[in-house]
Amino acid sequence: MGRLILTRLAMMAVNVLAISALLFFSVTTLLGSPAAMMLGEDASPAAVAALNTQYGFDRPPIEQFGTWIGHALQGDFGRSFITRQSVAAAIADCVPVTLELTVFSILLAVVLAVGSSTAPVARRLVGAASTAAILIGVTVPNFMIGISLILAFSVGLGWLPSTGWVSWSEGALSHLQHILLPVLTLSAYYFGVFSIVYRAEYRDVCERMFMRVARAKGLGEWRVAFRHAMPNAILPVITFVGISLGQLTGGAVVTETIFSMPGTGRLFVSAIAGHDFPVMLAVGVMIVVGVVTMNLLADIAYSLANPQIRHE
Amino acid sequence: MPQPSLPRRSVLAGATALGLAGTARAQTGSPRKGGALNVGINNDARTFDPIYSVQFSERQVLYLVFNTLVKYGPDFSIQPELADSWNVSPDGKSVTFQLHPGINFQDGTPFDAAVVKWNIDKRLDPATASPQRELLAPVIAAVEATGKLTVVFNLKEPYPGLFSLLGERAGFMVSPTAYEKLGKDFANAPVGTGAFLWKSWVRGSALTLERNPAYWEAGLPYLDSVVFRDLAGAVVGTQRLLTGELDVVMELSPQDIRVIDGKPGIALKPITLGRWYFLQWHVNTPPFDNAKLRQAFAHAIDRQRLNDIVMRGKGTVSDGPTPEGLWWNDPSIKAPAHDPARARALLTEAGYPNGFSFVLSTPQVAAFQQLNQLLQEQLAEAGIKVTLQTVGASEWYGRVVDGTTNLTPTRWVQRPDPDGLMYILFHSKGFANTTKYQNPEVDRLLDTARATYDVDLRKRLYSDAQRLIVADLPVAPLIFGAEYAAMVDKVRDFVWIPDQIPRFRSVWKAA
Amino acid sequence: MRHPSLQRAFGCTVIAVAVLLAVFAPLLAPADPNRSGVDMLDLPSLANLFGTDDLGRDIFSRVMHGAQPSLLIGFGAACVAMLIGVPIGLAGGYMRGRIDLLVVGVIDLFIALPGLILALIITAMVGATLRNLVLVLGFVMWPPVARLVRGQALAVREALFVEAARAVGGSHGWIIRRHVLPNILRVIAAQFAVSVSVAIFTSASLSFLGLGLPPPMPDWGGMVRSGFDYLSINPFMSLAPGAAVTLTVMGFYVVGTSFK
Repeated sequence: MGRLILTRLAMMAVNVLAISALLFFSVTTLLGSPAAMMLGEDASPAAVAALNTQYGFDRPPIEQFGTWIGHALQGDFGRSFITRQSVAAAIADCVPVTLELTVFSILLAVVLAVGSSTAPVARRLVGAASTAAILIGVTVPNFMIGISLILAFSVGLGWLPSTGWVSWSEGALSHLQHILLPVLTLSAYYFGVFSIVYRAEYRDVCERMFMRVARAKGLGEWRVAFRHAMPNAILPVITFVGISLGQLTGGAVVTETIFSMPGTGRLFVSAIAGHDFPVMLAVGVMIVVGVVTMNLLADIAYSLANPQIRHE
Repeated sequence: MPQPSLPRRSVLAGATALGLAGTARAQTGSPRKGGALNVGINNDARTFDPIYSVQFSERQVLYLVFNTLVKYGPDFSIQPELADSWNVSPDGKSVTFQLHPGINFQDGTPFDAAVVKWNIDKRLDPATASPQRELLAPVIAAVEATGKLTVVFNLKEPYPGLFSLLGERAGFMVSPTAYEKLGKDFANAPVGTGAFLWKSWVRGSALTLERNPAYWEAGLPYLDSVVFRDLAGAVVGTQRLLTGELDVVMELSPQDIRVIDGKPGIALKPITLGRWYFLQWHVNTPPFDNAKLRQAFAHAIDRQRLNDIVMRGKGTVSDGPTPEGLWWNDPSIKAPAHDPARARALLTEAGYPNGFSFVLSTPQVAAFQQLNQLLQEQLAEAGIKVTLQTVGASEWYGRVVDGTTNLTPTRWVQRPDPDGLMYILFHSKGFANTTKYQNPEVDRLLDTARATYDVDLRKRLYSDAQRLIVADLPVAPLIFGAEYAAMVDKVRDFVWIPDQIPRFRSVWKAA
Repeated sequence: MRHPSLQRAFGCTVIAVAVLLAVFAPLLAPADPNRSGVDMLDLPSLANLFGTDDLGRDIFSRVMHGAQPSLLIGFGAACVAMLIGVPIGLAGGYMRGRIDLLVVGVIDLFIALPGLILALIITAMVGATLRNLVLVLGFVMWPPVARLVRGQALAVREALFVEAARAVGGSHGWIIRRHVLPNILRVIAAQFAVSVSVAIFTSASLSFLGLGLPPPMPDWGGMVRSGFDYLSINPFMSLAPGAAVTLTVMGFYVVGTSFK
């Protein structure tokens, strides 16, 4: 087990390094002049040249990569070309927003998926409705769900603020009002995929012996469903959450953009739109590291829970 | 006929006549103290250090935290602010400012002549690498503090455009003590002499300023605080204005205001001078060094239709760099009229009988994307095929400057002195001359005009220069835009300055 | 829509309509999709079924014309994903041993990368043209294809008829062509349909984030994005193309899953 983790960690480090280098070189060669971007309306050839020298943009790429990786390992990702803000600080500002959005969305999606597929009430009706909901969740693009929610609840009914962000410190109620629609938007897809995974597992579990025993004992439908079947069927969903995090980041990017939330996703999109290379690279690497780590954790959790894999 | 000693305002001020002067104090009632003003903006700010400020959205904050040496009136006249008065020497090469006494910075240090010298020297120092150096260094020889409150600007040549420069970024007076103490952090905690104190900035959410209780202008400011809230798009802004979450929303297009136009309790304030939109190309290299080709483009463009669709008819058609309402506008100058048949003929004369194709660079800004799609349609009717190439908004201008972008629309905001735009865009030495336009006669006219204080003479020189420019077509004029600020009608005494940067210092909120 | 046959009927209808529009939109659309007009952002009327956009163009016609680039990207990218994923998956699943270890390693490396993020970075650098989008999305989508094919090949390999073929001395190429591939074709076809839906979904998301086909190409995702600014004036500028994307994605998805 320990060796497995060590090997995976080493592989992870190699992957991350390879991807960083790939990103760095492809981006620097295809990039316009960062100095000109920094100067905006005041850009002139002389000013651009001066700034290029000041920031070392005129040095060979390999040297720049060496400097970058050296600093990055110490947590210094440089300064944004556009805002001149320290990239590490910009990311630190954004991470809590994205974390909150994703955690709430995953929780909501898991609760809804497990609840709607377990509850033994009006199975046929709920089943049909949730099958439709699953299909919608999986196939309707995030932006479409977000726009429909904005149209209905903000533009139409005027119940909720359409977009923007209010931090906890500015008022808990307002904060929750602002985050409700984004969470609904992002959880739709996960509700769909989690339901699919959970339902397959649930059907399997129901076939097993101990379920028949439970039923034979005369336990109530609800008790059987939630006390016996659910705990056994939920494990794959949990590990699936870890594996699907890569997909989740994509959804978060779109959702944060629609609702203009100051999160990592929007930071990334605006960095890409502006070819703001230090931010783009740092966020890209951060997302890859995050996703790979979560996958590793999911793997470990899965193998701990499954003795078969552990001993293989 | 250079005039000897000039009393302030007589020459530099009164720049405009048409329609702009009457806008001040439109609303009545005596100002009420207190209240917070919630302003929705598209905040793309990068730094709040005036010495490095580039972005437009930064300046509306800077005007609250800082004062400028002189200020712009609603008619673009130059008025006193930190400087009470000024005198231009008979040879026009030195300007002496008398500073307002008793002003302190927000950190308690006094504002005096030495501070002004420090501020200008800092910007002139090549080591600072201030973007404003490009504007100041060619004209300022030295700044001297000759008394506690007397400061002299020694110029290389007479330069009436100086006052225009000192009314914007170069004129923001920074506290040297705070600047040296804070270093790089000054950009996120600026200290000036202004009416509002910097409180906090949560990027992507809100920027808060609070009243400066020790502000030097008697009675000002009225508001307790000003909060700039980030908006993603106008649809959100107008929505929040209607629900009362916001008091003011800026930068609305004529399309955006359709939802709020005529709604009770909402006041719309159109800007007084529109941004100048034009199409530009590299005039010194093929294919656009071909004058007939440029003329073909100009005749193919239906400027009226551009205005009708992109600006919903609320802007005006541009016949040259200067809109009506500025003293250097000459209504007798006309850009080539829309005439597709003539455009086709010119295209053939230019050597493209079978049509012409080129890439049209399209920054991701709604107005440019709309303009370009219409231009594509109009040019096609004259046999010119343009392919739109999308470019990120922040990257686009850098590419224009380094020359990788050739054919592209551009826009500029008007400035209080004709030298402001005319020189940087059309003089062969202008730093924003990205078309590489070179006409010795235009250079001569612009050089002469920027070195005299005689308004009548300057008006003639700028007329001549503009006539040549419109004939040479280093750029094809398109339109002057329309733009709005919308506010709840409780917000009083908001007055547009034609540089399109809102000033909230003397705004107040009715109960 | 619980019955697979019903789902399949719905999916096939959507696909048929989309293909019809992609080919015949110029004949079917009531107006020129790029013809501007001075009546901007009008609400739906008889003349303009979904109203007009910010340049006074007919949204209905633009949505119809949008089918072509969407389907081209969808089919193109799915083909690219198959061309990369199927051989790699077959190699791993059929050959086993070292080759399989390598295949699994590579799949694991790429499958961990978030698809949309990867597509965003690459598209931002190479530029959003039809050809680039096809290649980028195909490249992003191959790992799941390879994983699926590998699993299937692994199972088929153990089947009696394959062992028999091997016993009579068939070459690997021959066995794969004659025995393995035909047996997993159905799964590959199903995955192809799902890939088309994922490609259309992802390319619409890219467009929405500003990396779509250049204007004035009627690109569904891009239309949703530009309509977002005018949601309270004419919401159909966003809703109509958004619905078109959704239906198309759904159509390919249900057809794909119903065959799995």
